[in-house]
Amino acid sequence: MSDHKERLEESLSALMDGEATEMETHRLLKAVAEDPKLRGQWTRYHMASSTIKGEPATTSIDYSAAISAAIDQEPAHRRSAITVFAGSAGRFAIAASVALVAVFGVQQLNSPLDTASPVSEFAGLETPVENSGPAIQFPSGFQPSINARTVSVGGNNKSSQRAVPVLEVNQQVQQQVKQQYSEAEMRAYLNNIMSKHSSHAALNSNQGMMPFARLSETESKAENKTGSAAVSKSIGEASSDKE
Amino acid sequence: MVVFSSFKIAFKALKQAALVAAVLLHGPVFSAPMESAHDLMARMAKASRELSYSGVFTYEYRGNLTSVKLMHQVREGKIYERLLHMDGTQRDVVSRTDSVDCVRTGDMLLRGNAYKINNENYSRLEDFYEFHIKGDGRIANRHVSMVHVLPKDKYRYGYVVAIDKESGLLLQSILMSHTGKPLERFQFVDVNIGESSAGIDLQLKGDEFGAVDQANCIQVSRKIDALKSMWHMDWLPPGFVLASHQSPDAQGQEAMMFTDGLAVFSVFIDSVQGTVLPPIDAKLGATVAVLTKADINGHQYAICVVGEIPRGTASQVASAISLAP
Repeated sequence: MSDHKERLEESLSALMDGEATEMETHRLLKAVAEDPKLRGQWTRYHMASSTIKGEPATTSIDYSAAISAAIDQEPAHRRSAITVFAGSAGRFAIAASVALVAVFGVQQLNSPLDTASPVSEFAGLETPVENSGPAIQFPSGFQPSINARTVSVGGNNKSSQRAVPVLEVNQQVQQQVKQQYSEAEMRAYLNNIMSKHSSHAALNSNQGMMPFARLSETESKAENKTGSAAVSKSIGEASSDKE
Repeated sequence: MVVFSSFKIAFKALKQAALVAAVLLHGPVFSAPMESAHDLMARMAKASRELSYSGVFTYEYRGNLTSVKLMHQVREGKIYERLLHMDGTQRDVVSRTDSVDCVRTGDMLLRGNAYKINNENYSRLEDFYEFHIKGDGRIANRHVSMVHVLPKDKYRYGYVVAIDKESGLLLQSILMSHTGKPLERFQFVDVNIGESSAGIDLQLKGDEFGAVDQANCIQVSRKIDALKSMWHMDWLPPGFVLASHQSPDAQGQEAMMFTDGLAVFSVFIDSVQGTVLPPIDAKLGATVAVLTKADINGHQYAICVVGEIPRGTASQVASAISLAP
């Protein structure tokens, strides 16, 4: 008897590992149906396995008793022809929904984006800047570092307290150039094209007005000089020089 | 006995009929989710222009967050848009107006139409991106369908978008790097959809809204004319087509804009401004700016490529611009 029990336990762990033979499985199913102890063991095995895998442990609620009780209470009914139709249609509906799930399942496969939860990763985002250009004279305000020069659009350093959008400028000049430009010029130029690009993008991407949000504070300040509603003005200019 | 067996046969026939009926009934249910990823994108392209809505959205990149109030009203065939930055120093409200009927290159590609590059070649969105429906979610207290948009090559980025189930409006858009890292995110926190949604004061005179250039609307030809340009693009990332072109302005700056329907980049060519600047390789959030210098026939030009595209794509574009033969 105890030998039989030992064999059952062996089969049980084999089933857990997906290595039980068909005969073992049959024998187990029969034994589990009769033996509440074995059912308990099955539950414990699963809980242990979940714990090892770091999954949240499922509470060991045995639905089987409640379900059989509920089935017992159901009034037995004769199958009329109509219920048989309904039954086969119902089965088909189930098959259809399984197929539906399969379609969804296929659509959900093979996406590298799945691995990352897109929302929670902004903090860790710091792309390394690869640059091997030689040192160059920088106007004041630029922060030279070994690999990259970082300058904020507002003239604030990256370390400033306020969260100002930071524009990374990465110089790639092969030889020492004489300084013909000012920091302000560079900033103004980049801000200008950035603003034009944003209004372009707002017309031709899926995001509607959203690209305007990319414009940082100082850009609109710079545009104040050219008059109010600067962006719409630049759009207006676009239409005038066309044709 | 005979009665019983004939009943059985009749019963079998009925069962088959029921199955056939079930197939017919379930047919449309099958096909709907199959095409919906693409349909959703097309519906989104239409909704963001043709619906009236207002709300507040956030823009986030690398730990920076700004919030923006947006109003989009459609009245008598015209779109009125206002945009207000909610934080930082007080800034001007961006106001503009556009014609609802003006469909641009990006719109058209997004709506699933092919763009005719020349007589043999067409550009279509689905040739360069894969669309996957990722189930349901909730954004700004509305039910959304999540769609992952994966690039098929390294020249463009991917997106995670959330589209409002009821209206088709885009409520979230995350730009994703090739390694699956988010580069920037737009997301509505609150949105009102419908005529009555006046989020920002609309009691303005019409002339306070700057009119958007209508020259780049796509008409029958479905092609933007760039023949006037003295510049030639020797290489473009596949799928990108010209969406607008501006002849040199008073400052000698010529601009071209390219899109594949989702990603957008602009090319600026300066003959005066910017020519004193050194070559630049800059990054602002998900936007890269690559400035290269060209010396052609003793003339200095600054060529600048700006866009939400990988840096490699931008520099490849910048180095492939030459004087038209």
